[in-house]
Amino acid sequence: MEIVALSQISPDQVVVWSWNFITLNVTILYTWLVMGILVGGSIWVTRNLSSEMNVSRWQHFLEIVVSIVRGEISEMTKKGADNYVPLIGTLFLFICTSNVLAVVPGYIAPTSSMTTTAALATCVFVAVPYYGISRNGVLHYVKEYFQPNFIFFPFHVMGELSRTLALTVRLFGNIMSHEKVIGILLAVTPFLFPVVMQILGLLIGVIQAYIFAILSMVYIASALSAEDEDHHAEAKKEGSAA
Amino acid sequence: MHIDWFVFLAQIFNFLLLMYLLKRFLYGRIIKAMDDREAKIAARFAEADELKTKAEEEAQLYEKRNQSLNEKKETMLNEATLAAEAKRKELMEKVRVEVDAVKARWQDMLVREQNAFFYDLRQRAAKQLYATARKALSDLADADLEERIVDEFLRRVKSLDEEKSAQLRKAIGGGGNRVTIQSAFGIPGPRQKQIEEVLKKQITNGFTIRYLHEPDIVSGIEMRVNGHKIAWSLNEYLETLVESLTETLQKEAHAA
Repeated sequence: MEIVALSQISPDQVVVWSWNFITLNVTILYTWLVMGILVGGSIWVTRNLSSEMNVSRWQHFLEIVVSIVRGEISEMTKKGADNYVPLIGTLFLFICTSNVLAVVPGYIAPTSSMTTTAALATCVFVAVPYYGISRNGVLHYVKEYFQPNFIFFPFHVMGELSRTLALTVRLFGNIMSHEKVIGILLAVTPFLFPVVMQILGLLIGVIQAYIFAILSMVYIASALSAEDEDHHAEAKKEGSAA
Repeated sequence: MHIDWFVFLAQIFNFLLLMYLLKRFLYGRIIKAMDDREAKIAARFAEADELKTKAEEEAQLYEKRNQSLNEKKETMLNEATLAAEAKRKELMEKVRVEVDAVKARWQDMLVREQNAFFYDLRQRAAKQLYATARKALSDLADADLEERIVDEFLRRVKSLDEEKSAQLRKAIGGGGNRVTIQSAFGIPGPRQKQIEEVLKKQITNGFTIRYLHEPDIVSGIEMRVNGHKIAWSLNEYLETLVESLTETLQKEAHAA
């Protein structure tokens, strides 16, 4: 008896179609499914939005989601929260939807593939310097890597890489392990207990999505605030010199 | 763990595509709708604030108007009160004047009645006195009172001084040489002759005497010559009596 199926180890291994190096596996397929649900749902709900007091319940729902995302971002960055909403909001919605859909039989969350989590973490890895540089310029951003002195440069680089790796592995590990635990439990105790675990899995899925999004925002905010602090310090120096 | 680099890149692309699509179809629209709503709410609040300010201004305006009206009302009320008081005083004065006039008329009437009464009293008293005196004189002295009166009259004529006599002569001359002698009783012929003799002797000749019987001259006799008069009657005594009576009556009236 096969306790853990190949697809449950990594959906990347289940290839639907391939040609040369181009492979179409279930990770990509389910990613498209999630994308379809999110984009389709968004288009459907926002096709007739109302800015009046009476709005539809789905619009209310989406407004609540967007408001929460904006609120969380605003708590970390004092200004320009709307610049980060697309990245952080998309991370949260994509991961959350991917994880929650895991209750559907036959569905395998794309986030249980390390390829997907690595891709998301890489996006964050690129987004941090992107936002830092777009806010304060290249020089200021690079200068941060040599603070307090040049010896710290490798540590900064290692920090960047390790937290990207941490993001990747944390999400992948949680989701993949949860699916593995469910698979094993189904073999051992087929009734009731797996249901409880599925419910727990929903909670874990939402929490992991929240953690991933919040950590991403923290990384971006830390880059921004470091720049801001730098600016404040320079302003103070200029003030004292004057 | 195995990583398929094609899938890795494909997932990055998928994520960026999803980010773009959601930005276009979700965040942009939702945020715009929320911002629009916030703007509308802010506009409504601003409008409400404006209306409130306007309402407060209106309220202050009406308060001022109300105050002004109250002050005006107070002023008008005071003026009306003063006018009413003035009118009341005027009417009271008018009434007082009328009452005074009525009182004066009444007092006047009272005085007239009093005078009439005393006149009547005097007439009656004089008649009574005259009757009593005549009876007393006739009883006691056995003499006629009328004789005494004539005697007294003659005595007075005789006792006239020269100056008075000259005045009387002049008066008799100016009055058409006519002398009128009035008496309350009839004077017998011998006495008339005596009177004529005394007058001619004392004053002058050449005048005619006309005798008149006048009961109003109370128990007396008088001679009138062109504004001059020689007389004796009970009147002077009666006047004393009347004065005494009047004084007594008034004292009693005051006491009452």
